[in-house]
Amino acid sequence: MLRGLNQERIVFTIAVVLFVLFSVLLPGFLSAGNLLSLIQNVSILGILGVAMAIAIIGRGIDLSILSTMPVSAAWLLTLVNGGMPIGLAFVCALGFVIAVGIINGTLIAYVEIPAIFATLAMGIVVYGFGKAFMTPIDAVYTGRGESWFYAIGSGRVLGIPSPVIVFALVAAAAFLFLRTLKPGRFIYGMGDNPLAARVTGIPVRPMIILQYVIISIIALIAGIVMATALAGINTRLALSTMVYDVILVVVLGGIGLAGGKGGIRNVVVGTLLIGILLNGMTIMNLTYTVQSILKSVILLLAIVADTLLNPRDEQTAQHGDI
Amino acid sequence: MNALIEMRQVTKAYRGVPAVTKVDFVLREGEIHALLGENGAGKSTLTKMMCGVTLPTSGEMFLSGAPFRFETPAEALENGIAMVFQETSLVPSMTVAQNLYLGDERLFNRIRGLNIAAQTFLQSLNFNVNPTALVSALGAAHKQMVEIARAVRKKVRVIIFDEPTAALTPEEKHHFFALVRRLKQSGVSIIFISHALEEALAIADRITVLRDGEIVASDDAGAFDRDRIIRAMVGRSLSGSLYRREAGQAARPVGEKVLSVQNVSMGSIVRNTSFSIYSGQVTGMFGLIGSGRTEAAKIIAGVAKRNFFNGGEVRLHDRSVRYRVPRQAVADGIVYVTEDRKLEGFFETMTIPENLYMGALAAGTAGGMLVDMAEMRAIAAEWTRTLNVRAINPNARVIELSGGNQQKVVIAKSLVQKPKIIIFDEPTRGVDVGAIAEIHQFINGLADQGLAVVVISSYLPEIMNLSDRILVCRSGRVVEEFGPDEATEEKIMYAAVH
Ligand SMILES: Nc1ncnc2c1ncn2[C@@H]1O[C@H](COP(=O)(O)OP(=O)(O)OP(=O)(O)O)[C@@H](O)[C@H]1O
Ligand SMILES: [Mg+2]
Repeated sequence: MLRGLNQERIVFTIAVVLFVLFSVLLPGFLSAGNLLSLIQNVSILGILGVAMAIAIIGRGIDLSILSTMPVSAAWLLTLVNGGMPIGLAFVCALGFVIAVGIINGTLIAYVEIPAIFATLAMGIVVYGFGKAFMTPIDAVYTGRGESWFYAIGSGRVLGIPSPVIVFALVAAAAFLFLRTLKPGRFIYGMGDNPLAARVTGIPVRPMIILQYVIISIIALIAGIVMATALAGINTRLALSTMVYDVILVVVLGGIGLAGGKGGIRNVVVGTLLIGILLNGMTIMNLTYTVQSILKSVILLLAIVADTLLNPRDEQTAQHGDI
Repeated sequence: MNALIEMRQVTKAYRGVPAVTKVDFVLREGEIHALLGENGAGKSTLTKMMCGVTLPTSGEMFLSGAPFRFETPAEALENGIAMVFQETSLVPSMTVAQNLYLGDERLFNRIRGLNIAAQTFLQSLNFNVNPTALVSALGAAHKQMVEIARAVRKKVRVIIFDEPTAALTPEEKHHFFALVRRLKQSGVSIIFISHALEEALAIADRITVLRDGEIVASDDAGAFDRDRIIRAMVGRSLSGSLYRREAGQAARPVGEKVLSVQNVSMGSIVRNTSFSIYSGQVTGMFGLIGSGRTEAAKIIAGVAKRNFFNGGEVRLHDRSVRYRVPRQAVADGIVYVTEDRKLEGFFETMTIPENLYMGALAAGTAGGMLVDMAEMRAIAAEWTRTLNVRAINPNARVIELSGGNQQKVVIAKSLVQKPKIIIFDEPTRGVDVGAIAEIHQFINGLADQGLAVVVISSYLPEIMNLSDRILVCRSGRVVEEFGPDEATEEKIMYAAVH
């Protein structure tokens, strides 16, 4: 009977319980305005979560997305503010993130640097490069430009805030990619057993490059949403701890760090819980420190519950992951 | 003799499906007890309950008369029960010596002391393994020897060996059996799981046969012969010619020369070896450990990383091919079926259909850019039927299958790639007698269809039975070639050793 209880369902249940609790206990939580701002705030986290999920499912990780996102978006705004047409500026930014993805992928696949170090270093490089050559000032604000562009982050469709719609679109596209496209299946195979993937004849190294290019493009999308929603973006975001929130969303949803497990549904569930939690804690006026402690306790609880309910193959479990 | 371990009415069910049902089993003090049965009969499951890897769903277990329930292998070890698992459980990034003493380190280990101790110990077992080598660099046989040594070192009362000989060549098997006899003399009780019935008959004091999770026969070894064991295992008798070429069956005619290997070297493992492979034939490759058979195959199929590739040429038809990655070889129809299924064979969190489909997608023999679920199910249905793969549950992940069934999945995953040249490395490792016959028949069928088939095996009868040509390897190169009529076991062994 307990078998049906995997981490995804546990987290979903916790999210529902929290939602009910907050609705009853916190005045104003259930108001339409609050609910909308709740989903809007976590949309960017969710979009980045999708990118991180694609990395982790393939037994990688991308710590550079938190640099790629603000730097590419800030550059786009700088170009537009300098008079470049939006379409052209977008193509430039797209070219930039694709280059970042290719470099990440090449370092990991061909130079064989572990993903965590390659992307950590690349994050610093992107931030530094951006500051030196692309956007000399930290905070870039949206200036002139067409209104449709600003609507990406601040508009509404049928009353739904557009960041939520972008999150839904990105999640749906990633879901279809991972589930129904050949490269998506290959990424699962590489996450499950990289050696077997290679021997089976999967083009492992080109797939790794594709993987990190897709991740960088999603980071650009998140950056555009953020910049247009807040009417500007600050590249110092690269120095924040937001990347841990992104990993939290992914791991909390039940995508194992060992790779090969989970999917986009897990990201959505993880985002939901973190969203409700952050919103509730903000209404309660908790300090940043207390918020961090609560977040980490919840992460630990979810992982412990998952290990207890779904022991891995006993033989492997006894001898550790090898 | 007293019962050391006794199991009464023990049942183990996975998700409600029993893998072992109401078993009464007794291990006596100081005996060698062979546990036999088909793939998935429940041998591993039964023994895993004794050594703390899994707990029984119901039933009682007694150790020297006292009831026990071990939650962890460490607890079982404290009580004197050790197990050597079917799949390797060594830490690849550590040396042999470090693996041997894993868990017993003192706070400050002197590496040199550790290596010397390991060397002395391995030598006392007659195991020729370098204690300073990294485990990841060892072949399957050496890994198995380290596993065995690790269990023996623990000084326990009971050692359970789960298919210890599957990866060993005759020479190492000989040392292993000598070791088992010495252990018995020093009072250790032994459970020995194997698919090699001759081995069980030769070494065991008592034999227990499992079928579908139940004990169907348990008696003194003297009361069994090969035929009685097989009848108990499968419930009927099989034709006796399992390992013998059908009388009068001629070798297949030599087909087109599809692949030639010329003066290929790789480090000190493959040394300037040359040989050819023909279509419509089974080419057997025999050799002792370290003779470079697996490595030569891995060079051909692009599995060996090329920075180790030190010269020589591989020609496919008239084209020179030096594959950097297996993908290129697979695209050209050359497929290597690995000897180490857990390490580089299957995808463990995936189901059987997903595993097979992954092979088809990678080779482009199924699906386009899109995944086709119906096609995936059809492929799985076809191959599980052809190779008779058995799982408790159709959606079981491959890690939950028994060892022999995992092997069949790996073979099927390679065959869905529709290769023209297929290299089987120890294809029947961990596979039961009935299934060995099926797989052999199947391999013969592939050659009849015109494929170039290579079989690497350490088991001479398997080589003799299957091959139209036999290549013998020694110290990194092919040293001799036999036709099927001229080959005898003595000649082959002589060529392999001298
Ligand atoms: N962790 C698991 N989860 C689910 N089913 C399992 C698990 N482990 C084993 N089984 C099932 O239990 C049955 C018995 O498996 P077991 O490994 O004991 O067979 P075996 O006799 O050792 O076979 P082999 O000779 O192939 O190694 C098989 O049908 C297998 O699929
Ligand atoms: Mg087994």
